[in-house]
Amino acid sequence: MTYATKSPWVIHYDASSCNGCDIEVLAALCPGYDVERFGIINTGNPKHADIFLVTGSVNERNIHVVKEIYDQMLEPKVVVACGICACSGGIFHDCYNVIGGVDQAIPVDVYVPGCAVRPESIVDGVVQALGILEEKAKALAEGKAPAEEKEGGE
Amino acid sequence: MYGLDTVVATIVATIVFAILAPIVGCLLAGLDRKVSARMQGRVGPPLLQPYYDVRKLMGKERASVNGSESVYVTCAILFTFIAGGVFFAGGNFLLSVFLVTLSALFFIIAAYSTRSPYAEIGAHRETLQVMSYEPMVLLMAVGFFMAIGTFDTAGVFTAELPAICSVWGVFLGFLFVLTIKLRKSPFDLSMSHHAHQEIVRGVTTEMSGPTLAKVEIMHWAENVLFLSWTAIFFVWANPASIALAVVVGIVAYFLEVFIDNNFARVKWQAMLKSAWAVALVLGGINIAVLAFI
Amino acid sequence: MELLAFLMIFPLVVAAVLLLVRSNGARKVIVGGSAAIIAVASLVLVGMYLGAGRVEFEFSSSALSILCTVVDVALSLLVLGYAVRYKNALAGVLAVVMVVLAIGFEVVAAHGIEVVHGFYVDALTLLMVAVIGVIGSGICVYALGYMEDFQAHEPEGAADRRPLFFALMFLFLSAMYLIVFSDNMAWLFTGWEITTVCSFLLIGYTRTEEAIRNSFRQIIMNMIGGLAFILGLYYCAIVLGELSLETFIAVGNYAPVVAALPAALLALAGITKAAQMPFHTWLLGAMVAPTPTSALLHSSTMVKAGVFLLLKLAPVFAVSLIPGAMVVLTGGITFMLCSFMAISQSNAKRVLAYSTIANLGLITACAGVGTPEAIWAGMFLLLFHAIAKSLLFLCVGTAEHHIGSRDIEDMDLLFERMPKLARLMMLGIMCMFIAPFGMLVAKWATLVTFVDTGQVALIVLLAFGSGATFMFWAKWLGKLAGIAGSLENVELTVHRSEWIATGVMAALIVLCCVGMPLLSWGIVEPYVYTVYGTVAGDISDGNLWLAAIMCAFIAIVLFAGLGSKGKGRRVDIYLAGATAEKGERRFINSLSGATEATARNWYMEGIFGEKTIRPIGELCCAVIIVVALAAACAGVLAL
Repeated sequence: MTYATKSPWVIHYDASSCNGCDIEVLAALCPGYDVERFGIINTGNPKHADIFLVTGSVNERNIHVVKEIYDQMLEPKVVVACGICACSGGIFHDCYNVIGGVDQAIPVDVYVPGCAVRPESIVDGVVQALGILEEKAKALAEGKAPAEEKEGGE
Repeated sequence: MYGLDTVVATIVATIVFAILAPIVGCLLAGLDRKVSARMQGRVGPPLLQPYYDVRKLMGKERASVNGSESVYVTCAILFTFIAGGVFFAGGNFLLSVFLVTLSALFFIIAAYSTRSPYAEIGAHRETLQVMSYEPMVLLMAVGFFMAIGTFDTAGVFTAELPAICSVWGVFLGFLFVLTIKLRKSPFDLSMSHHAHQEIVRGVTTEMSGPTLAKVEIMHWAENVLFLSWTAIFFVWANPASIALAVVVGIVAYFLEVFIDNNFARVKWQAMLKSAWAVALVLGGINIAVLAFI
Repeated sequence: MELLAFLMIFPLVVAAVLLLVRSNGARKVIVGGSAAIIAVASLVLVGMYLGAGRVEFEFSSSALSILCTVVDVALSLLVLGYAVRYKNALAGVLAVVMVVLAIGFEVVAAHGIEVVHGFYVDALTLLMVAVIGVIGSGICVYALGYMEDFQAHEPEGAADRRPLFFALMFLFLSAMYLIVFSDNMAWLFTGWEITTVCSFLLIGYTRTEEAIRNSFRQIIMNMIGGLAFILGLYYCAIVLGELSLETFIAVGNYAPVVAALPAALLALAGITKAAQMPFHTWLLGAMVAPTPTSALLHSSTMVKAGVFLLLKLAPVFAVSLIPGAMVVLTGGITFMLCSFMAISQSNAKRVLAYSTIANLGLITACAGVGTPEAIWAGMFLLLFHAIAKSLLFLCVGTAEHHIGSRDIEDMDLLFERMPKLARLMMLGIMCMFIAPFGMLVAKWATLVTFVDTGQVALIVLLAFGSGATFMFWAKWLGKLAGIAGSLENVELTVHRSEWIATGVMAALIVLCCVGMPLLSWGIVEPYVYTVYGTVAGDISDGNLWLAAIMCAFIAIVLFAGLGSKGKGRRVDIYLAGATAEKGERRFINSLSGATEATARNWYMEGIFGEKTIRPIGELCCAVIIVVALAAACAGVLAL
């Protein structure tokens, strides 16, 4: 295991979620689930974060914000779309202003469906994301820049 | 010219401090998180979590807002190490205090240099924090001199009584500002080591990857140094007193962790006024009493 | 002796020539050349007498004494003339009193008193000579370019009074040399009065209403000091029958009670000149003058004459309770309160002024303590303050002409707009307040001295003042350090003379900080030894060398390590949302427009504002001075 997976710091962004998934994300940090056991910290700063948790669908206004947060995160990084809205747009998919899931803006590594997504699923999704993070960290250590992510960010 | 021995001793001690202090500081930081988690009814991360964090940060991509920020941070960490070197080489206590201030200045300028609004507010608050604790820290060094008879930390090994016997007022005052220096709540205005703060991460908002790793290591070394400042008040000619001092340092640290978990952040006015009042009352009166007796 | 005479007379001649020369080109040559000559001559003098201890020159001349009196009277009449012209009654009355006292002194009191060794050189004098010769003339060179811009900024058709300006600058230098060389206190007094009147004229240079008001404030306060000085001289002449400074210090040492009153009076003169509370407002008002004037007043001349006298008298203060306590408390309180007030200021020159007053307060307090260690610290404070402060004033002056403001908030991004100047300014600021630079090492020695002598009040004042010092310098430094995007470089039009002067000061800072152990060994320790017969050992050589190494390191980082492109990807700052433009501090607001994120430094007006602090300080210091003088008078009557 590389150190990248032992200390995953997350940033959580509420795109246009109904707040249902957000509550669950925060619940995962509470004593009941205590994700700090795995070294997970909710940073609130993209420059410090390794994992980007997005809830809610992407719309015309927040797509810039989602992209910017993603851009400001340093490699290696992974994106977890939390909840069905973040995965595909969910029940809001045909709203006039909704573009769709988070993958319309940035490359998504793990899709965690649910309405609202359960804390157990989030923890599960993050653990899966760690595997991807590890691969990316190894690639970075070997000097191979993950090309497709760079493009996706632009 | 004389004084070469001091320079050599300081350089050697600086290197030793630069290796050992981060190790001890890292373990302390791990304990802090563990204990805090238990206080909140959680299991908490592994003991070595701070070490994993730093290793991860070092492996991250290099990116920065400007080229100068990391230079300033490097200066800050370097002078923290030298401050520790001066202290543990038996050198001048005041010089150690001044070098920590210099290190704080470089850290502040690093934040200013980014021109990020959040980092700048953090820098303003950090400046204010330095101003708040500086008088008490200076008085602490003065109190040390009055008790031991020299500013050289090596002097404690010839003292008949530990400094705490005569300067307990100064010591209590220093314990108060130690909370500011260790960036613990209620005085963690400029940057909080907890998750969220209204100014993102304050001073370190723009620092990332290896630069942030340096900041973490600097804080480990700083914590060790500050706790050593606390502990030296309990050392005297008896070699066994070193064990006592270590215990005192650890107790002081857990006291700070306890305070950290039990108080909400205050406004800057409360910090400035309380720190200065404590310095004036506890420090000033203690020193005045010593000077006139 | 010839070199001494040369240093006193040559600037006088230059001043006279400059008064007549109206051509800009010729002035440049004369000022540049003679400044170089003065600097070289000063350094030669320092080289000649380095390590020689105290050297006295047998010289007494009643003709010179009479000439001095004539000059005193003429100066007072000049002030009287201005007082009548601008209808300032108080200044007029003081001038009349001064005329009467000056004539009376020569005719009655000092008649027949001879000072055998009229001039002398010791290590403190050498230090002052170096400061005046190098920094003072450096400022004159800087003024060439600056005054050209200044004249260009003046309204069309404004009278060009630059000949007078430069003549006054050189006259100032001459008077300063007279002050530091004279053992005859009557001659010293003449130098003292010349500097007072010169700065009066320089402050009033622009002849605006504000300038005139401030120049009269200056002359009134300094005439009070002058009166105290001459009253002290009366006492010395009539009661002690002596006018030699050296003898007076010796008398003060073995008969502190007899010398208490004149020592207190001379201390008052020193305090007014060094702009201590409650007389500090004259130095704040002096900022209306062109920047080189401020630089000259603040760094190498005028105020330094005040602390020079106080440092000279330090052995008397050490044994004489009343004047000692007066000087110590005034200096200590001024240091702390002026450091507080500096926090609330955003005008760069005003911050510098408060910091000057505060640091002079510290030197004053050191002089009041009067132990060998205190003098060691005081001399270093004097030296480093002179260099760093002149550099800072010159930098602020240049910045003002190129960014159009002297407000610190407007110096945002100076690191990009004026890269060289910003680094020089940062060096100056760091030298003022942070270890391991000279100023702080001296402050460190000061603290040790206060602890050694058990001056509890001073320890507390210094501790809190130092905290405030950190605050106001660090936030200024931070403002300078900001880096963003690539902005237009506006320093390409800075005059070469300005670069020469600031470059010399910066080089001096680095040299003096790195060479501090040598300075201590070569100049400061010898002075302490000649005065006290012991050496001061507060800061060990080892610690001095440590500081020296670290200074060199920081200087290298500042000028070679910063501003590089650095490794890795360049990213934008985090604005918690969408950034409006790359590299800008603008974000997209809720109406899809762009909003600029701005941040101002903290000034904490409510806590550290002038309104709150000034009355406290003025009241405290005034009461201390009045009580001390009354006690000294009572002491004389009781004799």
